[in-house]
Amino acid sequence: MSASPSIRRRALLLAVWLLLLAAGGLFVQQKLVVGGDLRLFMPSPRTDAQRLLMTELGEGPASRLLLVAIEGARPDALADTSKRFAAALRTRSEFAAVANGEQGAEAVPERLLPYRYLLTDRFDAAPLGGARLREELQARVRDLGSPAGAMLEEWIPRDPTLEALALAERWQPAGEPSRIDDVWFDRAGTRALLVVETSAAAFDPDRQRDAMAALETAFAQERTDPKATLVVSGPGAFSVLMRARTEREASWIGSVDSVAMILLLLLAYRSLGLTALAALPLASAGIAGMVAVTAWYGTVHGITLAFGFTLIGVVQDYPVHLLSHRHPGESALATARALWAPLGTGIASTCIAYLSFLFSGVPGLAQLAVFTITGLAVAGFSTRYVLPRLVGTPVRDVGDSRWLASLSERIARLPRPRWLAPVLAAACIVAIAASPSPFWDDQLGNLTPVPAPLLKRDADLRDELGTPDLRYLLVIEGRDTSDALTRSAALDRALDGLVTSGALQGYDSASRYLPTPDVQLRRRAALPDRATLERDLGAALQGLPFRAGVFEAFVADIEAARALPPLDAATLKGTPLEARIGSLLRERANGAIALTTLTGVRDLAAVQRGAGEGVTLLDLKGATEGLVAAQRTHIVRSLLVASIVLVVVIWIALRRGERVYRVLLPMTLTTLAILAIFRLAGIPLNLFHLISLVLAAGLGLDYALFFERAGEDEAEHRRTLHALLVCSAATLLVFFILALSSIPVLRAIGTTVAIGVAGNFVLGLLLARPPFRGRDARREGRSV
Amino acid sequence: MASLTAPLATAASAPDASAPLATAAPTPDATALDALLARIARPAPASVAYAEVRFSKLLTAPVVTSGRLEYTGADTLAKHVDAPYREDLYVERDEVRIERAGQPPRRIPLQRAPELRGLLASFGALLGGNRAALERVFAVELVGDAGGGASKEPAGAWRLAMTPRDSRVRSRLTRVDVLGRADAPRCLTVLQGDGTTSTMLFAELAREAWPATFGPELVAKRCGAGAP
Repeated sequence: MSASPSIRRRALLLAVWLLLLAAGGLFVQQKLVVGGDLRLFMPSPRTDAQRLLMTELGEGPASRLLLVAIEGARPDALADTSKRFAAALRTRSEFAAVANGEQGAEAVPERLLPYRYLLTDRFDAAPLGGARLREELQARVRDLGSPAGAMLEEWIPRDPTLEALALAERWQPAGEPSRIDDVWFDRAGTRALLVVETSAAAFDPDRQRDAMAALETAFAQERTDPKATLVVSGPGAFSVLMRARTEREASWIGSVDSVAMILLLLLAYRSLGLTALAALPLASAGIAGMVAVTAWYGTVHGITLAFGFTLIGVVQDYPVHLLSHRHPGESALATARALWAPLGTGIASTCIAYLSFLFSGVPGLAQLAVFTITGLAVAGFSTRYVLPRLVGTPVRDVGDSRWLASLSERIARLPRPRWLAPVLAAACIVAIAASPSPFWDDQLGNLTPVPAPLLKRDADLRDELGTPDLRYLLVIEGRDTSDALTRSAALDRALDGLVTSGALQGYDSASRYLPTPDVQLRRRAALPDRATLERDLGAALQGLPFRAGVFEAFVADIEAARALPPLDAATLKGTPLEARIGSLLRERANGAIALTTLTGVRDLAAVQRGAGEGVTLLDLKGATEGLVAAQRTHIVRSLLVASIVLVVVIWIALRRGERVYRVLLPMTLTTLAILAIFRLAGIPLNLFHLISLVLAAGLGLDYALFFERAGEDEAEHRRTLHALLVCSAATLLVFFILALSSIPVLRAIGTTVAIGVAGNFVLGLLLARPPFRGRDARREGRSV
Repeated sequence: MASLTAPLATAASAPDASAPLATAAPTPDATALDALLARIARPAPASVAYAEVRFSKLLTAPVVTSGRLEYTGADTLAKHVDAPYREDLYVERDEVRIERAGQPPRRIPLQRAPELRGLLASFGALLGGNRAALERVFAVELVGDAGGGASKEPAGAWRLAMTPRDSRVRSRLTRVDVLGRADAPRCLTVLQGDGTTSTMLFAELAREAWPATFGPELVAKRCGAGAP
């Protein structure tokens, strides 16, 4: 066989492989939608309450609010900027509502003004008639004689009882900030304040990022003083900020990792070509994983991708094993075939572990499982069947190096302490059980914590603006809109008492704006007809200095109100109230949900008592933690099942109890040791620790399978040692750098896996080596 | 004084442009204005009886109220209405609070009532004798002879015509006119953007009786008896 056809065949194979990768890449690029909804990483809600929670987490009225401050310039410039900025934002689709204090009663559109007589409760006790009119008109004469007259004069002919003003005052949020030049300012008068409600959910980081970008652009265009600066706070702003930070850090860590990995491979194999070829299984794993999730799910969460690539990083070990074990005199294909027993077992076991995520009930984890399992399998098979045909037979045996020989000899002389396993296991279990620190950390926020100064600024703005509490929410589930509104109105009355008694600073609910249809119809029926009203008005005007015919517009409005259908959410479309009602009142297939947001909760127990029957106090923080805990229990259970299946698989592969024990021991001890170290360090575990534990266990299994693989001869033994050294050094390096990250989620992954690699390597070395091998074996053989 | 006019200063659209006016070397007019302001300044707290006549296009007759004005000098101006009904009005910092018996107080942000700002600024600056504060918000024109005798105006009568510098304020508050004689203001007239006027008459003018109905001419006559 001449070299040329072989080279040509190899080139063709490589070309086909690269072409397949390109095709996969193209498919992914065309079809893949990267989503950003963090709720994918929450368990699928099962009960109605959980479903509501999941909605509230991302779409709740409070969580979508961004608190905005404009500072750094003179108050007049700040006020001007606030007005222009708010006007610009109101034209953008990214924002459902923009409030800067400017809007008053005059913001209610003309066509809805007659509705004030269906919305106001001031004529419920006594209808709008002679005596009441007289009283009101007298008061208006006084108003016209007072400085207030200037601003009321234009309203009085149409609205002599000042109903629109009364409604506007009632609708004002509790604890509204003071104004300078018609716009909200903080108490010190140095920051103009706005509240912006995004159309996007708080946990939709992509659209939140768009909203933040739109804010910045609009501000840059509209500010009237270049010294004015923009401050944005709130859950959405934080999620964008923390995501950017995490991505930035993950990105530089990834670059450092890649460079380190390439240098290590170059050092180990001294060949540019081999190093490039060795990257192909990992590339194939990534692309195949993405093709699989794209085909299966369509939308893939950004975290699935980022985290998935971290997990499939282990496939870099596969080509390393192949390259290290190649030696002159054996075709690479034969080497791969020989390696397949431990390699295949390792891959199968790891896949089984990840399979448990597929059934975790968490969509994001299921995606992660599909991605990882596909990636591992593709990398495994390509290393087994394709890569060997490309790398060829080497001229040099890595096992021939002198330092490796001396290292191997020293390792052979290492003790194989029988006492180590039980002592270490006992110590770990004691440490795990005895540590007083909490075992789990169920607060999602701790994964990407917001820096303390930003939280302080957020609390400060929240206080100045009187924005609703992010944690507590009252929920009424009604048969229909009318039922929900009726019960919400009853709740309003109870809460009014709590506001008076000081248990609560304020609240907001749809029923504050929208009385039930029944109530509106009752009020409508109580309105006087034109003749009655004109007679009453005439009598009431006796002796008052009003010009004749001044109140024509008022009479017309009452007449219009008498023909109006009750106001509903649909009628409010396009008004400033639309967004607010929309977020507080939701129609469902099987009913309606009315939400009440709370402001300045001082006595939660009193609120809970006052809320009464049929009203649920939703503690978003507590409920989230509950969900996370439930999810974690579910995952732990899946992992236990997976570990049993794993033992079975190993048993089938190795067939002898003693071998199974040696292979599983380092991995089990390392997992215990990692848990013990975290417990002793007082680090509570989260979801990402769990996933990383699986990753570390998978690596440990690989190492142990290779350590355990009886070295038939000295050289093969040294090659295995070489492969394991390269693998573990590379993995340790990658995850050690990740462990240095300032972001807890990255640190959790990094520390877990780094400790895992070190532990698995050392324990594998000490405990998984077969008793008879190399010189050791010969010596023991002689003594027998 | 500064705290009183601070919200007003923020309303001025071109404060930097108006600043040189206030600090420029006194012209003959400015000297006369300084002299007048020095004479009519009253140390806080000051209190004065007033009658207020307000015309509204909704009403056939003006609303006449009377009571006392109290200026504490710090940051509050109180207006106590005694007749024909009782009402207490406080201008504090950034809002006006109107209290009537048996009703919760009504609060109006000062920014929504530019005429009130005008009233407050002119009143405070006049009583405090602070020309700089006055001219930060208003273009002030002094007509008549504050010194008395030299001009054709009788008995030292004078008029301060004050026009807001800020065009936005001017659209709601056209002018504030203060008429006085010698060292005492007699009337303060606020002309609103929509053409309605209100006039406060002080001291002995406050005690005069009014007919059942009358026009602005009568007010002008009483205030301007001998005014320019």
